[in-house]
Amino acid sequence: MSSPLKAYKRANGAWGLRNQVLILPMHSALSSTARAIADNSDGAVAISHDWSGEKDNDLARIIFTLSGYASNPNIFATIFLSIGNPEEEQIIKGAQALGLTRFTNLLLPEIGSMEKLQQEAITLANEYVKEANAQERVDAPWSAIVLGLECGGSDALSGITANPALGVASDRLVELGASSVLGETTEILGAEHLLAARAIDPAVGKKIVEMVARYEDSINYEGIDIRGAQPSRGNIEGGLSTLEEKSLGAAKKAGNAPFTGTLEFGEIPKVAGLYFMDTPGHDIEQLAGFGAGHINVVVFTSGRGTPTGSAIMPTIKVSTNTPMYESIPDLIDLDAGTIADGIETLAQVGDRIFNEIVQVANGQLTKAERGGHHEFALSRMYKTVVK
Amino acid sequence: MTISIKGFDHGNRGAGIRNHQLILPTVVCSTHVSRRIATEVGAVTFAHQHGCGIIGDDVAGIDNFFVSLADHPNVASVLAVGLGCETIQSQELAAKLLSRNKSTQYRIIQESGGVEGTVAAGVKAAHELSNAFPSAPAAVAKLRVGLDLGREVDSAAALEQLLRDEGCEVVVAHSESSSAETFSKLSQENVHVIISFPSESQPASGFPLIPVINVASNGVLHQAIRGDFDTDESTLLSGIVTLLTEVAAGSETVAEKSKSGEIRAPRVVRSA
Repeated sequence: MSSPLKAYKRANGAWGLRNQVLILPMHSALSSTARAIADNSDGAVAISHDWSGEKDNDLARIIFTLSGYASNPNIFATIFLSIGNPEEEQIIKGAQALGLTRFTNLLLPEIGSMEKLQQEAITLANEYVKEANAQERVDAPWSAIVLGLECGGSDALSGITANPALGVASDRLVELGASSVLGETTEILGAEHLLAARAIDPAVGKKIVEMVARYEDSINYEGIDIRGAQPSRGNIEGGLSTLEEKSLGAAKKAGNAPFTGTLEFGEIPKVAGLYFMDTPGHDIEQLAGFGAGHINVVVFTSGRGTPTGSAIMPTIKVSTNTPMYESIPDLIDLDAGTIADGIETLAQVGDRIFNEIVQVANGQLTKAERGGHHEFALSRMYKTVVK
Repeated sequence: MTISIKGFDHGNRGAGIRNHQLILPTVVCSTHVSRRIATEVGAVTFAHQHGCGIIGDDVAGIDNFFVSLADHPNVASVLAVGLGCETIQSQELAAKLLSRNKSTQYRIIQESGGVEGTVAAGVKAAHELSNAFPSAPAAVAKLRVGLDLGREVDSAAALEQLLRDEGCEVVVAHSESSSAETFSKLSQENVHVIISFPSESQPASGFPLIPVINVASNGVLHQAIRGDFDTDESTLLSGIVTLLTEVAAGSETVAEKSKSGEIRAPRVVRSA
């Protein structure tokens, strides 16, 4: 029987579900150049950010985020745009250590101007894109899929329709040998004991509880009661009453499988299984953490609707309710609102999500990919103290 | 002698030296749609990662920052673009802006039929704003100049004095590491134009609403990318003032031409 998956095999054994050419600016002043390069190329993608090489408390977090992102297995080649600072070297060395083999570092001072840098990078990007397009997918095992579970703009139906249906798909993938990663620490606050109870051993369970406590402590330190700030206004308008209610619903994305381990922000899972990653609830910062952690496909459930996508990870969006699905047709790939309307069962929608993940893994484009949504955000601690 | 500039009447926000329409994404989720609208109508916009998942002092901090950008004298009209479920609500921000500047509208992705619907509605709204509120010419009574000193500049005090002698108001900022942060701070001081002396390890950089004149040092990086700068330190101070006058009168800086430069919003707490 032929494998149900075809993907791109990387030198370090990881699997890519896409073959992107990424333009990565190492300085905020080169972000607009990076976007212009991607826009004028034959299909390269770019991210932009506001880091200008500042050596503050967030430096280490930024360096490993960019190293991880630049080496995500969905990338065929990365073109770094540099100004010649030592931190840029660290980012590139880090990416190489994480498996990046094909890259070019274009140094602005060697090339002479942003305009020339842009022209040179477009030529190079087009060569890489041509090579990437010539590479063929090969039979891949289920472990090739590293799924990221995300929700944003949750409503009262999130915990009843889209999230548990995604849980069905996640369980099935984990059972087959794939990996699945639940993120968003903010959104499991109050439900951590339920996740910890599903850990493969007490140490993993303890770590899940500690990660959530660490997060809440850092926020309390600022004198902010997170339970007052969450659920957000959008969530309340969507019918959610408390943070705990939101968390109980959000946690359902991870189904019922046992938790193999925990991951720090942007950490790469080493063996297949279900994981919890410590990421912010901020959808785009959290997606950057997934990208850095070498997740290669994301399912994003939403009650209110979002255009969000990623330059490197196909992001499948699932609506929790049918009116939203019908009101913003170009944003949402699948509707789980049919569960609430009694048209489909949880298992049926779970099946549809599973099938969609497999098809997208094999190359079918998501709506966010077709729309060119390439949001990116660096996750920073700013002045928050984490003990 | 006093620099006299013909600018644009922007009502109670003062006369500007640019007549920008600002497409203001109130959340990271609407930056892509904002960029598409801005490209289509020739407006300015910027990418950022804020507006949602912000807590504590950052809620007011980001809200005030967006208001200050929209309030800038170089801005003629503002179209706020929101997603709908974010912390900084675009209709509330727009209501605040409307009390200061009638040429304000907002559009919301979740209420405008998604991305394509919002792009179409946003382009229409942007045209309506330009047609309904054309800016009349106006003299800039006092040119406000931001002086970004990212490095030691021997002639800084002399330049500051010369600018004051020419009738300018001068706001001096000493950037610690990056221009992006300093420019964002200077924009809140409503400077019309910035003269930037970036650190020798930093490239030239711009800002979406404000023309930035970049002055190169003799350092290796700056001399290697001299073309990204408008002038260098060997230029006489009077030459810099001449350049300033030209830019204030409408001549585009190198950074304006390349549209380089990101904003750096003030933040203190991690995202929720």
